[in-house]
Amino acid sequence: MSLVLEKLSVYLGDSRIFEPLSLTVAQGEIVTVMGASGSGKTSLLSAVAGDLPEPLYAVGLVILQGRDLTRIPPESRRIGRLFQDDLLFPHLTVGENLLFGMARGPKIERQAMLKMALQHLELEGFENREPHTLSGGQRSRVALMRALLAKPDAMLLDEPFSKLDKTLRSTIREYTYSHLQERNIPTLLVTHDPEDVPTGGRVIYV
Amino acid sequence: MALPLMLLFVFPLIASFFFAARSIFDLAGWAALFIHPQLWSGLQLSLITGLVSASLSVLAALLIVSGLYQTKWWPRIPSQVGAMLAVPHLAMAIGLAFLIMPSGFIARGVAMFTGWQTPPNWISTHDPYGLALVASLVIKETPFLMWILVSILNREDVQRNFAGQRAAAVSLGHDMKSIWLRIFLPQILPKLIWPLLVVFTYAATVVDMALVIGPTQPPPFATIVWADINDADILYNARGAAGAVFLSLAVAGVAVLVWGLVKAFAMKREWLMTGPTARDIIRPSGPFSTSWRRAELLRGVHNFTLLHTSGEGGPKGRMRSLLARFLFSKVLLLYLLVTATLILLSFAILWPFPQLWPQTLSMAAWLRVWSNPSALITSLLVAGATTATAIAIIIAWLESQPQRRDKLILLLSASALGLPAILLTLGQYRAFLLLNLTGTATGLFLAHLIPVTAYMFIVLAAPYRSFDPRWRASASGLLCSVPKFLWTIKFPLLKAPLLAASAIGFAVSFGQYVPAQLIAAGRYSTLPMEAVTLTSGTNRPLTAAFALLLMAPPLLAFIAAAHFGKSRWSTA
Repeated sequence: MSLVLEKLSVYLGDSRIFEPLSLTVAQGEIVTVMGASGSGKTSLLSAVAGDLPEPLYAVGLVILQGRDLTRIPPESRRIGRLFQDDLLFPHLTVGENLLFGMARGPKIERQAMLKMALQHLELEGFENREPHTLSGGQRSRVALMRALLAKPDAMLLDEPFSKLDKTLRSTIREYTYSHLQERNIPTLLVTHDPEDVPTGGRVIYV
Repeated sequence: MALPLMLLFVFPLIASFFFAARSIFDLAGWAALFIHPQLWSGLQLSLITGLVSASLSVLAALLIVSGLYQTKWWPRIPSQVGAMLAVPHLAMAIGLAFLIMPSGFIARGVAMFTGWQTPPNWISTHDPYGLALVASLVIKETPFLMWILVSILNREDVQRNFAGQRAAAVSLGHDMKSIWLRIFLPQILPKLIWPLLVVFTYAATVVDMALVIGPTQPPPFATIVWADINDADILYNARGAAGAVFLSLAVAGVAVLVWGLVKAFAMKREWLMTGPTARDIIRPSGPFSTSWRRAELLRGVHNFTLLHTSGEGGPKGRMRSLLARFLFSKVLLLYLLVTATLILLSFAILWPFPQLWPQTLSMAAWLRVWSNPSALITSLLVAGATTATAIAIIIAWLESQPQRRDKLILLLSASALGLPAILLTLGQYRAFLLLNLTGTATGLFLAHLIPVTAYMFIVLAAPYRSFDPRWRASASGLLCSVPKFLWTIKFPLLKAPLLAASAIGFAVSFGQYVPAQLIAAGRYSTLPMEAVTLTSGTNRPLTAAFALLLMAPPLLAFIAAAHFGKSRWSTA
């Protein structure tokens, strides 16, 4: 139940963006990827997610839960992502955003899960609010919960705390890590900030 | 200066609204209208052809745009759509009629395989159901709606937001189809309401296209009204005025009804948040599931190569892109076929069925055009003058007025385009009669200026207002005067939208038929008037030559705008 990268690298034409990377991220482990701007950290995450923009392309293998993800479209990889922006859909309410990634099923079950999620977020009564009415911290937590409700097999975090102020940053960071570790989700985190590295966590440089 | 200039647009427009509204109180006209034998059948035909063509156009535009969005074909779309937009509706109707008529190009192509020696007994133009009219409207309105969609999607903020939202939705297990339906469309559709209303109103009230290719027994209601308005009998005039008001109310009623139904569907919102389906295929029930086998098979071919799938979204996405390209190429092909047919026909003297090539070619039609070029010259002069005036009005307004006042002009512009031309023209005619402007060059100029300014303002206001104010601040710091700043900095940086808006204004003026015909009162003749008159005759080469003349200048204007509007620099 891990995320394995085998000799994964990204190319632009003939030039390689970063050296081939082999790595195993265990269940519940958060591996931090660091490197200078332009070193290819975000490209690495896109290669894992399978949505590298043209004309970039990736070479190597991504294996999740023992399955090779080559040729699996990004939406079918079961890899969740958090970005610098929370990217809550502005035309959907908080509740609708949370339901968006939830697996299809009976309405009652989905609503029950939504209620639990809102309780967990301490946002009961916020389900019909529009995302722009929430505070930055609330939005970040909703974005994380939305990703978790989709039950991903792995998570990719692309500097998700970089736009938060210092106080909020540490709170949301702890909140995020505890949820990911609780669910045993292998996670790759890209960041510039050494403070984001989880205690005792591995760091790799590209 | 800006206000008096803007009055050139606002005053005739408001006068048109006022005098059109006054028609409501002419009771004799209403009484005559409601005993008109073709009232209900004509109205039904107008509304159905309008609804069907608007629905098909928006469906085709969305299919093409969603399939080609962010693929390698995307950057080419604006120029191709621009060229299609440049073709006036009337020219398209004439060309399409020649293409699909029983002795047309298509029938001749089919005859090669079937051995027909005489034209088939088809009713392909003026058909009773208005199918030919719907087809020509769809071919013309699809590029218009595509152009609106492309303008929205190419905005920097929209591109940035949609790229992020797409990545988020993909990570939640939604494929591109789902993302378009649930994320992009709900955000785009509110911006499509006005263009859709314009398309529906135009389609349900069009006169020139209906005269060329539409049904005749009964004809669409707009052509019945048009005949009444042009009649010498005062009672018929009054009936026509009542008819124009009635048609407008009916169009508005149907638009409100359809909008209400769409809104009611959207209000349910259940469909917006349905969970992802793409995730289902990643949880194979075993090593023999279809997706698993497919992945294994493909891995054998592309081992160690992780092909990106973002651009086209996997096999399903590539299928959508293929369908979009197929549809778009067919629309483009139709434009090329129509142009080719018109060119060939304009030189054909003797072209017996089923030959694919004319037996005798001649310059006779073109020589006749050149021997009396007054309609062409009038159209060119009016289009040039109205475009130049409109750009002056709009720039003066945008430079001197606060942005909050744009709403009023945008509302007036949208009303000028959203209300049936036949109703506005009626009001305009009555106002101009009072001011002794009918049959004058000034009247003709003002009649063209209204739609030209309306279109150009809608196109130009947003890019002009979003011009980075730091350029002005920076130039002021260098002691640059306002005129110098405009000529050396702002206009060069905004030349692409300025030229595009001018090309659109020119094309809009060139295609005007209804207001020009009524206001000119027989004193002046423009190309659309000549072309419509010719379609009721038998001189096909001359009709084709006039249709080509209608197409060529706007097309050249678009090509020039695209060529000279290219930036040689980047402001990034």
